[in-house]
Amino acid sequence: MKFSVEKVVGGGRLGTILPSGPHGSTALETPMCTLYTRGGSAPHLGVDMLKRVSNVPDIAAMSLGSLAPHHENIRDFGKGIGEFAALKSSLIFTTLHDASAAVTSGKNDRNGVAVWGKGGKFKMDPSLFVKVQEALRPDWFQALSDGDTDKHTAKKRLAKAVNNTLDFLDGILELTKNNKILKDASLIGAIEGGFDEEERKRSAKETAARPVHGFLIEGFEKGHSGVDLFSIDSFTKLLEKTVSFLPEDKPRIMETVWSPLQIVKAFNLGIDVFSSSYPYLLTERGQALVADYTIPSSSPAARLENKGSPNGALSTTSGFYVNLKDKCYFEDFSPVLTECDCYCCATFTRSYIHHLLNTSELLAYVLLMIHNFHQYFHFFNCLRRSAREGTLEDLQASLEAQMNSKPSSET
Amino acid sequence: KHALSLNIVAQCSKSKARACLMTLPHAQVDTPVFMPVGTQGTLKGLVPDQLRELDCKIMLGNTYHLGHRPGPELLEKAGGLHKFMSWDRALLTDSGGFQMVSLLELAQITEEGVKFKSPHNGTEMLLTPEKSIEIQNSIGADIIMQLDDVVHSSIEGERLEEAMYRTIRWLDRCLAAHQRPTEQCLFPIVQGGLNAELRKKCAHELIKRDVGGYAIGGLSGGEAKEDFWKMVKLSTDLLPEDKPRYLMGVGFAVDLVVCVALGCDMFDCVFPTRTARFGCALVKTGQLNLKNASFAADFKPVDAECPCSCCKNYTRAYLHVLANTETAACNILTVHNVAYQLRLMRTMRQSIIEDKFPDFVQGFFDDMFPSGQFPDWAVDALASVNIHLR
Ligand SMILES: [Zn+2]
Ligand SMILES: [Zn+2]
Repeated sequence: MKFSVEKVVGGGRLGTILPSGPHGSTALETPMCTLYTRGGSAPHLGVDMLKRVSNVPDIAAMSLGSLAPHHENIRDFGKGIGEFAALKSSLIFTTLHDASAAVTSGKNDRNGVAVWGKGGKFKMDPSLFVKVQEALRPDWFQALSDGDTDKHTAKKRLAKAVNNTLDFLDGILELTKNNKILKDASLIGAIEGGFDEEERKRSAKETAARPVHGFLIEGFEKGHSGVDLFSIDSFTKLLEKTVSFLPEDKPRIMETVWSPLQIVKAFNLGIDVFSSSYPYLLTERGQALVADYTIPSSSPAARLENKGSPNGALSTTSGFYVNLKDKCYFEDFSPVLTECDCYCCATFTRSYIHHLLNTSELLAYVLLMIHNFHQYFHFFNCLRRSAREGTLEDLQASLEAQMNSKPSSET
Repeated sequence: KHALSLNIVAQCSKSKARACLMTLPHAQVDTPVFMPVGTQGTLKGLVPDQLRELDCKIMLGNTYHLGHRPGPELLEKAGGLHKFMSWDRALLTDSGGFQMVSLLELAQITEEGVKFKSPHNGTEMLLTPEKSIEIQNSIGADIIMQLDDVVHSSIEGERLEEAMYRTIRWLDRCLAAHQRPTEQCLFPIVQGGLNAELRKKCAHELIKRDVGGYAIGGLSGGEAKEDFWKMVKLSTDLLPEDKPRYLMGVGFAVDLVVCVALGCDMFDCVFPTRTARFGCALVKTGQLNLKNASFAADFKPVDAECPCSCCKNYTRAYLHVLANTETAACNILTVHNVAYQLRLMRTMRQSIIEDKFPDFVQGFFDDMFPSGQFPDWAVDALASVNIHLR
């Protein structure tokens, strides 16, 4: 892949990624998110439903936990995971772990890394890892890495994580030299080092010295299990430092749960590619994303007040989302978000979705997934426009005001 | 005038199978028709658009469930179930009685109605014929059902006889309570269990009333198939030609084909959508359990001849991966299973119009039972309407 920066705004980059291989003509504009998938499919949505979502990213992130155990069958299929999973026209980015889930700790060592799917643990050394990638034929692939660290991890373990990850990377580079199947696949190096500045620096510099096409920054947390878990403020400084050791001409990726406000902050620190697991997690909780990205924002607090139903919708509502399980939506015949033009909002009411949630019907999650994806993908359009037009500070201020307009634990 | 009219388009020259056009307030429905069951005002993860793409014209809602949640008051405020779920084609609701008796062990039937404890808050409630119709009037389906006295198909004797006569009395109460006869067509239900005399009596009584169509109930409850088909045939023999006949709770492919031959026009069953949830896909040879390891490297579509979005996009091998982990698989397979049922009905209808229905039946059984070992009951049932399987 080729990454070019068109404009730097604060610490953030407006750029373009040109993939190699058959999807070479699909230019990806950054900042961007990937399509979050589970088992290779958009959550709750078959391809005919995914078509009803607009601005779907051209690249889908697929974690190996649920797919690697099937690699031999996917290899026999012979056309890669994209076509296998009926996302033929999409670029595929294989990652190790599901961005929305916690990772079971303590299973990695110098010989390999464990990923987790429905069938349990699947442990890969570089050689098996390359076999899996040859079967899946991704456009981008995250190198095997030991990201099983967080802010409590001791320095000795952090050094090991960095060493293991670099060893895996070297092993993969050796194994994929002259590899015909993976010749167009872009290898993404993982940056480790937990909360230790020295280790972060070493990991960044050493990885950057190797022929990788991009960087995936991890090791701040052992996976993610909720929208509130990931707290960017706790490592802003460290992330800034880490990024400063990375070359300008390669994209930087962070696979985690990102709220719109977190994205703006991380973009300012120089991150280019994000996961879209946030709308998925909202969906699982029966919540709908309703954040306002217009600039100047239409007085966020007042806007939310208008949105609420007469009998106090705001009680379980954060600045960014409403909880449609709340009883106050029982009789609310307005769409989830009046100004949203998604299929869900054009067709159904809050009352109906509340009923579906109340009766545990699958359709609730289908509809919320459509709306939340739609709004999240729309946000990235707004983010790019805002960065281009120089209104990023206003966007951030507006998102902060929206978040603070409600008692909410979210940061 | 009833909210339903029926035109017979074609009649099989050998069997009792017929192809009709049934006109309802929200749709023109080609029969024989299979009606997918959308219990709670949604068809298991599918949006109305997907059903329209499958050319589904009519689906079911369950009064018992909808009566509890979201409840008739809300549905009325929403402008009826059609609006609430954004489905502009036809709907049919059951009376709620069957579900009450089958789901709630404590249900008690008296002349007044079905007494039961609310599973939600434990309070004692009473579903009378009038109440059932009132709720169904709020829901607003094109076709509504009378409350009937449901007994298990193994029940005989006095209780069965009582249930049959009570069903007729309740029909009269339902007809009297019905507030929207020009917008909603009320179907009575032929009861009488496996007792031919009772069933005949029941049918004779029902056809004296001015109704738009008839249901055949009390079957498909685990009774022997020999008994089942005989009761179906006996009922269709007595019911008038010019009204639709709805066989309740029947939806296995073999049963559909046999009962179309016996003269039934409408069917419903949760089976196709329920089985999708467990990773099963319906095909002309039966069903494929995609969770089974034998599909892990099977790169064919579920059914190469099926034009649905599942078969156009997915392989069995990928559905095997997905069916073991993700709910998306359930939605994808539900599309196929509904497509399968509707296509089976359309194919039957076309063969009736071309007067090739017996050939269709032979081909269907050859596919379903490649060994040539056809079930005896089906052979007998078909022979009773002049279709002789070879
Ligand atoms: Zn929307
Ligand atoms: Zn199909």
